[in-house]
Amino acid sequence: MHRSATLAVIALALTLTACGSKVEDPVEQIVVRPPGVAAVPAAPAAWDLVAAGKAAFAVCTACHSAEPGGASGIGPNLHGVVGRGAGSVAGFSYSEAMAKSGLTWTESELDAFIANPSGKVPGTEMVAGQVADAQRRAAIIAYLASLKN
Amino acid sequence: MNDMPQQPQRSRAAKWTRRGFIGAGVLAGGALVIGVGVRTGNPVGRLGPLVAGGEGEQLINSWLKIGADNIVTAIVPHCEMGQGVHSVLAQMLADELDADWSLVRVMQAPADGSYVVTDTIRTFVAPGTLDAPDWLEPTWNGLFTKIAQLADGLITGGSSSIRTTGQRTMRIAGAAARQMLIGAAAREWDVAAAEITTANSMLSHKPSGRSAPYSQFAAAAAEQDMPQTPQMKAPENYRLMGKDVPRIDIPDKVNGAASFGIDAVVPGQTLTYAAVRRVPVPGTRVAKMDAAQAKTMPGVLQILNMGDFLAVVADSYWQAQQALNAVTAEYTAPESTIRSSDDQFARFAAALDAAGDKGGEEVIGRGDVPTAMQAAAKTVSADYQVPYLAHAPLEPMNATVWARDGRCEIWTSTQVPLMARSAAAKALGLSKDDVTMHHPMLGGGFGRRLETDYVVMAARIGQATGYPVKMIWSREEDTQKGLFRCADMSRFTGGLDAQGRLTAYNNVFTQRNDPADACDCAFYDIPNKSIRVAEAELHLPFAAFRSVDHSQQAFFIESFIDEAAQAAGRDPLEFRLAMLGQSPRHKAVLEKAAAMAGWNAKPAAGHGRGIALTESFGTIVAEVVEVDMSSGKPRLTNVWCAADPGFAMNPDGFRNQMEGGIVFGLTAALYGEISLKDGAVEQSNFHDYKLMRMDECPAIAVEIINGDHVRLGGAGEPGLPPAAPALANAIFAATGKRIRALPLAKHFA
Ligand code: HEC
Repeated sequence: MHRSATLAVIALALTLTACGSKVEDPVEQIVVRPPGVAAVPAAPAAWDLVAAGKAAFAVCTACHSAEPGGASGIGPNLHGVVGRGAGSVAGFSYSEAMAKSGLTWTESELDAFIANPSGKVPGTEMVAGQVADAQRRAAIIAYLASLKN
Repeated sequence: MNDMPQQPQRSRAAKWTRRGFIGAGVLAGGALVIGVGVRTGNPVGRLGPLVAGGEGEQLINSWLKIGADNIVTAIVPHCEMGQGVHSVLAQMLADELDADWSLVRVMQAPADGSYVVTDTIRTFVAPGTLDAPDWLEPTWNGLFTKIAQLADGLITGGSSSIRTTGQRTMRIAGAAARQMLIGAAAREWDVAAAEITTANSMLSHKPSGRSAPYSQFAAAAAEQDMPQTPQMKAPENYRLMGKDVPRIDIPDKVNGAASFGIDAVVPGQTLTYAAVRRVPVPGTRVAKMDAAQAKTMPGVLQILNMGDFLAVVADSYWQAQQALNAVTAEYTAPESTIRSSDDQFARFAAALDAAGDKGGEEVIGRGDVPTAMQAAAKTVSADYQVPYLAHAPLEPMNATVWARDGRCEIWTSTQVPLMARSAAAKALGLSKDDVTMHHPMLGGGFGRRLETDYVVMAARIGQATGYPVKMIWSREEDTQKGLFRCADMSRFTGGLDAQGRLTAYNNVFTQRNDPADACDCAFYDIPNKSIRVAEAELHLPFAAFRSVDHSQQAFFIESFIDEAAQAAGRDPLEFRLAMLGQSPRHKAVLEKAAAMAGWNAKPAAGHGRGIALTESFGTIVAEVVEVDMSSGKPRLTNVWCAADPGFAMNPDGFRNQMEGGIVFGLTAALYGEISLKDGAVEQSNFHDYKLMRMDECPAIAVEIINGDHVRLGGAGEPGLPPAAPALANAIFAATGKRIRALPLAKHFA
């Protein structure tokens, strides 16, 4: 019963090396699904920028709808935003900064805005939704561009 | 042993040196490597990619490399768990090498048999061989290297790294490399080696005005003969040793770059996460598992009944833990009849009762206790007890495993990487060589990570899934289902003669682990002693706790010495000093702590001071604690600590370790208690397993006495033992109330 912390671990290690191994398998193993299957929802077969953008747009949906004719939320409806003038959704009350920005939402202007909203439009009321990752921004913009009709 | 040269050989590769093995060789990039002993069959080619995979580097097995950029890298075998070992071992090596500290880096040695800590194992297993004559040294060294390799002896523990690996390996590697660099320069410059000086990673020859960085001679140095007895510095020549050089590991810990076990990633793989629940009562098994609800929960991949624990594997840790919370189970009946803490202490009391005055196994016997007791003018008796304690490291137990195709790769923070590798190999039915260990820094060890239970659990989960999985214990699991500092009880009777001297000392306790001398206070001159152990069953599994047996024994012994002083009508300091006639270093330490505290001046009203003296892991420590009891509850105001570790290699680091040990000891003494109900642990998290908070921490002053430059003591643990008794003694001084059962705060609730 003498358990010297150091000696005991050494002794233990010697026993471990000495005696034959006994593998203890699970008594019960319930496999619900393999990893990575449902985890990446609707994983596109090939790299599909629009599909990836739709998934990434999830972070925007807290404030924006992109449905045709969908109501504005905290932020304006973004359906058809690509090519449209900034601050132009009827009935949405924009900040003065946005309303007077004079911007047209080209893909590159959108990219700059999403990368750093208050950097691009100082005084904007869009306080969240910044996307640091360039690839994700490209995907989101591709998705928004695909919504034109 | 064909490693042993029959006669002096010129071959570098087969030469032994005193105090350690050193090998040397040239790297592809022209860098010099001073390595571990060139042991026969040493797989240099296999080790190369492990330790010198960088640009222009190619190995040899090694304690140090010098790169083309003149950077010296110390390859440190011990694990960094906050104690500063990476930095201080590099500091020792760099001093002997005369390296520029700003050009020194540290690398964690890989979990490979070539990096066993021979001198640590040897110091613990056979300290007597450390003073072997030179001609025997190779034999002992070779033998203990073999033993260490067999025993997976890559250990960080026992407050041992500086005094074993630091003194006997790192310094030699540095000193030998320096001599070889000088030799190479002397040859190239065609001057006498004695005329060459070294400083700041540069070689200089004053008479000719020549100088060069080490890197320039690294390759040529490797062609030099290995010095048979490298010249180590005398203390008066230390340049880095004994100085507060800044620690190498701190910047990364401050800016968040440091990587701990729990931060592990599996390169190129998506991790899955396992939450686990062990059986609530040790020794039981899962009888039945119901996972119907858990199966439907988000992120869940697998639900496992492993017999001794349950696990849920999911896409994220949170999902795994939530689903695990929804798994219900029934367990087999426990064999142990210990259900409550009262049951546990009743077992101890019964064992002590059965042992009586003479029973149990004798650990220390000296003089004639019965006769001395009979002759005593006065006797004093007391029982003390301590509860179980959890280690509660900030980083909970965790391990990341990828087992596939008959191989297994593990990432975990551990104090014993090779033992963890063997334990996992055994659990999976693999050979050791099929298991690869990665062991980053530890977010706290404290002895808990000398155990490999959690690594084995993760390996079994990884084996079942076949894909990479990171197992993380919840805080609750870590508090309730781990391994514990044992509870214990100790009984004393002392006999005082007419002059109030302690002449008879009778003690019996129930738990003995490590170190063997923890139950004694040999520095006190007590002529008749009987110290015995009467072993009693423990309900919870054991793991060494910071300072191991000293963590409870110091409380028992130094509380009792205080009671003896009181019975003798003597001042506690004076009573102890009177017994230290044979122990001048202990006396100096105790006097120092008392002087720091101003022991002779009366404390403020409602305050009390207590003192305690211990020696553990080769270091002598005295602490005075002052407590303010005026509110009716203990409020700690000050700790004054004096310590003699022989020589403090990095005084700032040493003081940090004393402070850490003191806080660890005080928090355990005040609050630490793991109690049992229905055979299971009652506490679960920091709300009911309280740690001392910042605002409760007393001012701590530490002073160092360098009392022996040759035989060094440890730093990580020795600050802890005196803390609990000094505090209990302070509470007695303030209130007249003698508390014999920890934790202390419970008595003032
Ligand atoms: C916290 C809510 C919020 C989130 C999240 C958010 N936005 Fe906005 N967004 C707004 C608001 C509010 C405005 C109006 C800003 C103003 O008037 O200054 C706005 C305006 C915009 C505009 C200008 C529209 C126009 O009609 O001129 C674009 C484009 C935009 N957001 C894109 C995005 C994208 C893409 C995301 C996701 C990456 C996102 N937003 C996330 C709140 C949000």
